[in-house]
Amino acid sequence: MGDSQYSFSLTTFSPSGKLVQIEHALQAVGSGQTSLGIKAANGVVVATEKKLPSILVDETSVQKIQLMTPNIGVVYSGMGPDSRVLVRKSRKQAQQYFRLYKEPIPITQLVRETAAVMQEFTQSGGVRPFGVSLLIAGYDDNGPQLYQVDPSGSYFSWKASAMGKNVSNAKTFLEKRYTEDMELEDAIHTAILTLKEGFEGQISGKNIEIGIIGADRKFRVLSSSEIDDYLAEVE
Amino acid sequence: MPLTYDREALFDRFPLASKSKNLSHLFDPRKDIPKSSFGVRMVKMTDLPTKGGFSFDLCTRNQMLLDKGVQMPPFRKTGTTIVGLVFQDGVVLGADTRATEGPIVADKNCEKIHFMAPNIYCCGAGTAADTEAVTDMVSSQLQLHRYATGRESRVVTALTLLKSHLFSYQGHVSAALVLGGVDVTGPHLHTVYPHGSTDTLPFATMGSGSLAAMSVFESKYREGLTREEGIELVAEAICAGIFNDLGSGSNVDVCVITKGQTEYLRNYQLPNPRTYISSKGYSFVKGQTEVLSTKITPIQSKVQTVEGGDAMEE
Repeated sequence: MGDSQYSFSLTTFSPSGKLVQIEHALQAVGSGQTSLGIKAANGVVVATEKKLPSILVDETSVQKIQLMTPNIGVVYSGMGPDSRVLVRKSRKQAQQYFRLYKEPIPITQLVRETAAVMQEFTQSGGVRPFGVSLLIAGYDDNGPQLYQVDPSGSYFSWKASAMGKNVSNAKTFLEKRYTEDMELEDAIHTAILTLKEGFEGQISGKNIEIGIIGADRKFRVLSSSEIDDYLAEVE
Repeated sequence: MPLTYDREALFDRFPLASKSKNLSHLFDPRKDIPKSSFGVRMVKMTDLPTKGGFSFDLCTRNQMLLDKGVQMPPFRKTGTTIVGLVFQDGVVLGADTRATEGPIVADKNCEKIHFMAPNIYCCGAGTAADTEAVTDMVSSQLQLHRYATGRESRVVTALTLLKSHLFSYQGHVSAALVLGGVDVTGPHLHTVYPHGSTDTLPFATMGSGSLAAMSVFESKYREGLTREEGIELVAEAICAGIFNDLGSGSNVDVCVITKGQTEYLRNYQLPNPRTYISSKGYSFVKGQTEVLSTKITPIQSKVQTVEGGDAMEE
């Protein structure tokens, strides 16, 4: 490590007090595929576009929404490979927490630790910030929760949030449609409608991904046929 | 006089020290650096922080104490009878529930069948802490592996993780395990020894009661047992261990693993109930115990409250 050319931090302050690399990282997120999450009264739903670079890509091999623990799932906007690294680290941290406390990790703790990793990469030598924003959804003893974590390492709890290309339209749409006492099923419909807003081309179960968690505390990704059923309901 | 790192030379300088049995306060076994007579460890320039992984320092210390004649306190061992067998639909695991500390029963109803994965369970004999720690660790690793692969864990994966860990500790991790489960390739049963060797068997027993249990298996086991027959045979084998081995006792735990379903039958049999418990209870009336002497020391408060101080500055 020591004396190499890249042992200094690549994220340095600008005269105006900004960290330009993080701004650029947020740009990378902003040009990524849209993803969103909605917290309902009895669960959370996360959804994302799954636009593949070519029709030749085997879409069954791609899964953007991942599980971190049986009751916490995550979706990203931005650079896929960066999110893989974060998911792997978070899974390991969740396991370490369980081994130490014999309790499934609460969502706030996992979010905090993931955010700490992301912050580390903005203040270490020879590394760049992560080019992803994560939406972490889960259900634990404190009920359903939805958090967004940014490349800077800051995190917020949201009732509904969107990230990626279509963020402003999606957020406006969500602001209008969101109600406090929404049920999970309504939230899924709202999520689909929000994605449809900015969707280029024909929406189907093959080019979007939806993950849900209800009071059963088991996060699961919906199959493409289930998504098609929901799409039919929404029509 | 230059500092010497030679023990014999130090005995010459401090003749009284050689008389004490326990010299560990004088030596840091890690670097063989002698401590000064003030008990301060002299640090070498190249003193690096330990890199992680198991540190064998205490093992060296223990060996040194043994050489000096200091006895080690007995570990809490699980004594134990643990068994497993393969039947037509899967595997049945069984264990007793006594944990011993030398001649004393430390836990009358401990759990020796440990969770590894929803479709894999592991019985542990040997040092209780070692079996707990190693099964927890591998269970954690299997969970991470399941997330990475998106598939159900396989018994051979658990087996390999266990045996490589135990081998790298060269038998110092005293865990003897019976690992059983059902995965996509079928039902599997293995035994794992503390040094890291494994066997794959249709029926297996481990622990101090293994011979008693094995005698039952050897006479009654056959292929293609039904679920009821399998459970009954396992319970019989564990009971043989419970009644004939001092290190095993109390109750019978059974775990049945089949494709798609696992049943953990905790305390399947309780052949050692406490039969003579007084339902009236015991009463200890005041005056039954003879008072020999009384001394009352009033507690004096050392906390003094001072009224009216300055307010803190903003």
